[in-house]
Amino acid sequence: MDEILNAFTRALSFGTPLLLASLGAIVNERAGVVNLGVEGMMAVGALAGFAVAYGSGAGDGNLALAILAAMAAGTLASMIHAFVTITLRANQFVSGLALSMLGLGVAGLLGKRFEGLPLFNQPPELPFTLGAIGLALGLALLLDATHLGLVLRSVGENPAAADALGINVLGVRYAAVGFGGAMAGLAGAFLSLVYRPSWTDGMTAGLGWIAVALVIFVGWSPFRAIFGSIFFGLLYYLQFRLQGQSGVPTEVFASLPYLLVILVLALSGLRGQQGNAPESLGKPYQRGER
Amino acid sequence: MRWLVVVLALVWGLALAQEKKLKACFIYIGPVGDIGWTFAHNEARLATEKAIPGLETKYVESVKPSDTGAVVDRLVSEGCNVIFTTSFDFMDATLEAAKKYPDVIFAHASGFKRAPNMATYMADFYQVYYLNGLMAGALTKTGKVGYVGAFPIPELKRHISAFALGVRAANPKATVNVKWINAWFDPTKAREAAEALIAEGNDILAFTEDTATVVQTAAKKKIPSFSHYNSMYKFAPDYVVSGQIVHWEKIYIDFLKKVQNGTYTNKNLQNVDYWWLLREGAVELGAQVGMPINPKYESALKQATMTVNGKKVSVYDRVMELLKDMSSPNPKFDPFTGPIKDRNGVLRIPAGKKASVAELTSMQWVAPGVVGQVADEPK
Repeated sequence: MDEILNAFTRALSFGTPLLLASLGAIVNERAGVVNLGVEGMMAVGALAGFAVAYGSGAGDGNLALAILAAMAAGTLASMIHAFVTITLRANQFVSGLALSMLGLGVAGLLGKRFEGLPLFNQPPELPFTLGAIGLALGLALLLDATHLGLVLRSVGENPAAADALGINVLGVRYAAVGFGGAMAGLAGAFLSLVYRPSWTDGMTAGLGWIAVALVIFVGWSPFRAIFGSIFFGLLYYLQFRLQGQSGVPTEVFASLPYLLVILVLALSGLRGQQGNAPESLGKPYQRGER
Repeated sequence: MRWLVVVLALVWGLALAQEKKLKACFIYIGPVGDIGWTFAHNEARLATEKAIPGLETKYVESVKPSDTGAVVDRLVSEGCNVIFTTSFDFMDATLEAAKKYPDVIFAHASGFKRAPNMATYMADFYQVYYLNGLMAGALTKTGKVGYVGAFPIPELKRHISAFALGVRAANPKATVNVKWINAWFDPTKAREAAEALIAEGNDILAFTEDTATVVQTAAKKKIPSFSHYNSMYKFAPDYVVSGQIVHWEKIYIDFLKKVQNGTYTNKNLQNVDYWWLLREGAVELGAQVGMPINPKYESALKQATMTVNGKKVSVYDRVMELLKDMSSPNPKFDPFTGPIKDRNGVLRIPAGKKASVAELTSMQWVAPGVVGQVADEPK
């Protein structure tokens, strides 16, 4: 029993940054904008959060302020993507990849002086985990049962029709991308303030990419994202827990999450549906174009 | 007109002098802020720069082994005449680069391949790991000591084995349980591997990985740990018992001074292999420079006893005695003194013999007490 409880705790702990980042990505993708820059925004958020929490030294900064700073930094980074893809209508995938590299690079460069410093003023994990789950439930409700959710979804499904109804398509998309950035930044802050807690260049270690994959894995549903992230967290933990307990090589466990994503994608492809992907996902919108 | 010639000659002369200047360049596998391996090399680079007047240094961090060649090309074109490649993974690429640039001096850390212009060097921890093992064996209550390992290569097998020999010397029934993360730098994996070890009942943690994650994770669960590579005392002052600290600068300063005075050239490095230990001061026992054992654990270690040659001694005294011996010019003790069998019962070091450096650097077997999958282990 203890063992199960412990595994579940670990799954929640590792799943929290995944859930936060993927909720943000779900929102901006439901509005029709793919942002592959999650990893970069996460790194920027992690650094901003750590820098503020570290304050004048030995972790005496304000934690609430640190979390806000992380979200603001993530939003700021996402605005680059928003401007390039929504206003300038550039390719979303290319811009997202660029943002990912830019974010990692900028955070690495600006973060030099914070490397290797301990943080004693650590927030507890649980509020983040509960907050993330609460947010997922709230978003599920918002997307499916409110006018705002309808607006967001219509912008992602059929922006021309939404535009005809008088919805500000570009404005909604900007807001959605900004929300995605804020969530990625928050996920980063969780890593650097709670999970680690310290700052090192490259500390996001690919979590942003798992979050991007998770969005497809859960079919753009915030509700299913809760279980998806816990599932990934469980697999991640079990690769170490089961190591040496069976004859299965450790590499098999390490690659399981990724194999599963490929499997899910293949299955949804076989069923002849592109998952539940929003109709206009990845397509820039220009009024009057068909 | 004549003054112009003089000026040109002066400038040319200056340029030549500039070229002759010693420029040592370092290629790192990780980021300099990893608080582990790369951080230690970088601290040593800074110390070396201070110790040798006129020395210029440069580094490139987070280099993938596959990019080594390209990075060397760049450094050579920037005038580096000594290049240190500081990871085992750079071994073959360094050898290739040494053939490509016969005028440049290369030195590769932790490997075993050399060339006329390529030396090898290592500040090795196996003695220190043995001492940490003694303390871990004395402090564990469950008899299970956890170990987070990066990759199952000879270096780690040697260290984990030395650690396990120490653990068993103080506590003959204890085990060292190993989890591999297959990465030098991955704080998330290190965290979850440490969590898994704690869940399995290990009440002391040690590790080989390039961040302070294991120390931090253990402290959160109020479990003692041993830090690795640098001073990690500050991350958990109540829970870090001791650890391994490296002083690469001892090797860098010695090597570069010998390059400077012409002892080492690009023709005579074939047999230059630094294997520096406690005796040379290249490594140190402790969680922080100058603190071999955290004072918080002194009394527990003084109370714990072990049997040495039929006599009962306190673990604290044993650690201090061996530390003094191995730091002396002619150490009598070596952790890998036979008879030592591997964990499958095969005799690896005959009675009365010490393992040679070559045996230690190519070690594939692991000592009794080590539990867990170990790749490339001879049966």
